[in-house]
Amino acid sequence: MPSTSTFYAGVLPQPGETVTQTSSEFLNAVPDRIWLALFVLVVGIVLAYVVGVVNRRLLTRAGVPETIEGTAFERTAREFDTSTVAIVAKLSSYFIVAVAVIVALTVADVEYVQLFWADIATFVPKVFVALIVLIVGVVVGDKAELLVAERLRSVKLPETGVLPTVVKYSVVYVAALVALGQVGVDTLALIVLLGAYAVAIVVLTALATKDLLAAAAAGVFLLLRQPYGIGDEVKVADQRGIVQEVDLFTTHIETDGEEHVLPNHTVFRDGIVLIRE
Amino acid sequence: MASLTDHLTDLVDDADAVLLFDPTASFHDRFDGEDTAVIVVSDENDIDAETFVELPLPFDNVRDRIRFGIEGSLDRDLVSEGDEVVCLVSVFGDDPALDAVVRVSVDESIHTGIYDLFVNSRADPSVIRDVFEVAIELGKKGQKGKPVGALFVVGDAGKVMNKSRPLSYNPFEKSHVHVGDPIVNVMLKEFSRLDGAFIISDSGKIASAYRYLEPAAEGVDIPKGLGARHMAGGAITRDTNATAIVLSESDGLVRAFKRGALVLEIDPEEY
Repeated sequence: MPSTSTFYAGVLPQPGETVTQTSSEFLNAVPDRIWLALFVLVVGIVLAYVVGVVNRRLLTRAGVPETIEGTAFERTAREFDTSTVAIVAKLSSYFIVAVAVIVALTVADVEYVQLFWADIATFVPKVFVALIVLIVGVVVGDKAELLVAERLRSVKLPETGVLPTVVKYSVVYVAALVALGQVGVDTLALIVLLGAYAVAIVVLTALATKDLLAAAAAGVFLLLRQPYGIGDEVKVADQRGIVQEVDLFTTHIETDGEEHVLPNHTVFRDGIVLIRE
Repeated sequence: MASLTDHLTDLVDDADAVLLFDPTASFHDRFDGEDTAVIVVSDENDIDAETFVELPLPFDNVRDRIRFGIEGSLDRDLVSEGDEVVCLVSVFGDDPALDAVVRVSVDESIHTGIYDLFVNSRADPSVIRDVFEVAIELGKKGQKGKPVGALFVVGDAGKVMNKSRPLSYNPFEKSHVHVGDPIVNVMLKEFSRLDGAFIISDSGKIASAYRYLEPAAEGVDIPKGLGARHMAGGAITRDTNATAIVLSESDGLVRAFKRGALVLEIDPEEY
């Protein structure tokens, strides 16, 4: 039956042909935009991975791990076998993946989720920024607390223990405020609170450091112009003696074994008598 | 291991006092029940130890640290000459654990005057240390390879200025430089070829260079054979509350004078 065989040969495709044909049919069946969407997704995932790695390297190179060493956030992260840098790098990766998914879905034109995704698409970057701000805020707050505590360590007063905590929570508060603002929570009341707090701090600091500021301002003049120097005999505010030291805030004048430490603004206010013999 | 334990037992046997250098509170508490006197040597008494010697500078050199601690204890009559003391000290810095046991007999040789120099001087201990470091470095390297001499008068600058006169214009006029600044140390070395003394205030400000000291030299007790620079340095410390740190041009030693007497002599090469 040569004819049959020829017929079959004509109708039945060759094995190789079958695959090409079915795959090309399949390819034709799937719309182009789906391919594009898949492509976008793959590129997004690769990009996310690369950005994650680069981010981690950059942060490590910039010395972030050393800088935030010992902060509470970093320690908590360490407990969960990760680190702040890893968390930030992962976050950036996830963000890119999320954006890629959204772009892919938009390209694929999946209609029934359109409305839902439209909201999400604008919301995801905000959440991302909010998270980053929050992490940076907490880490910076921790670091500020450590720095202030270190500076105050020489001052052995239990009352100063509250200062580092105040500094920390101020920073965290501002960060939280920015983060909440990002995700669109109404923060007006919190901002008013922050304003009141800032005003209180400015007023109190100004009151507390009034004399110090005045002394420093006079001290700058004294250091620049040097109307008197170490070893000169002077009379300031009825104190006559030899100048031992002039620094930014004070002038030390010594008479017969008594060293008078005068704030520089009294030197300025009362005038100086230079004694020349 | 028996011999090792034996050796350690011998080392701490019938010690008159134990010196703990920078101990942690829990470590210090372990000595509570001991019969021997426990002396804490640290930069600040943050563990509320009963007997405490303040260490004004964190000496990197362990020998200096131990010497300083023992001298401080001597100064406060916590130990006396002839005592045997055991020092627990951390040699490899970072770890707060005390990793070395050193047994020292307190005698004449331990008394170098270094404690008195740092603690009982008018100037800040850190200023004295910085000036010492400049003098020692200068003694080691000299000025461009040649040995130089230098005279630093530290502390009580106002009085010292009134007991001296300028040899020429003061290069530090209207400048605000302090010893301990690396660049200033270079400057001091450069200016060391000038004649005369450097005058440094209590807080480390360099008040003047090029000063000719004019103290009354009578009653100054310094060893014979030292030159005019030492004589001037020694004498100014008798008239004022200053400390003089002198680098000798001829023998290269750094000497410190207080109240008109030699209190410390060190060889820069050994430092």
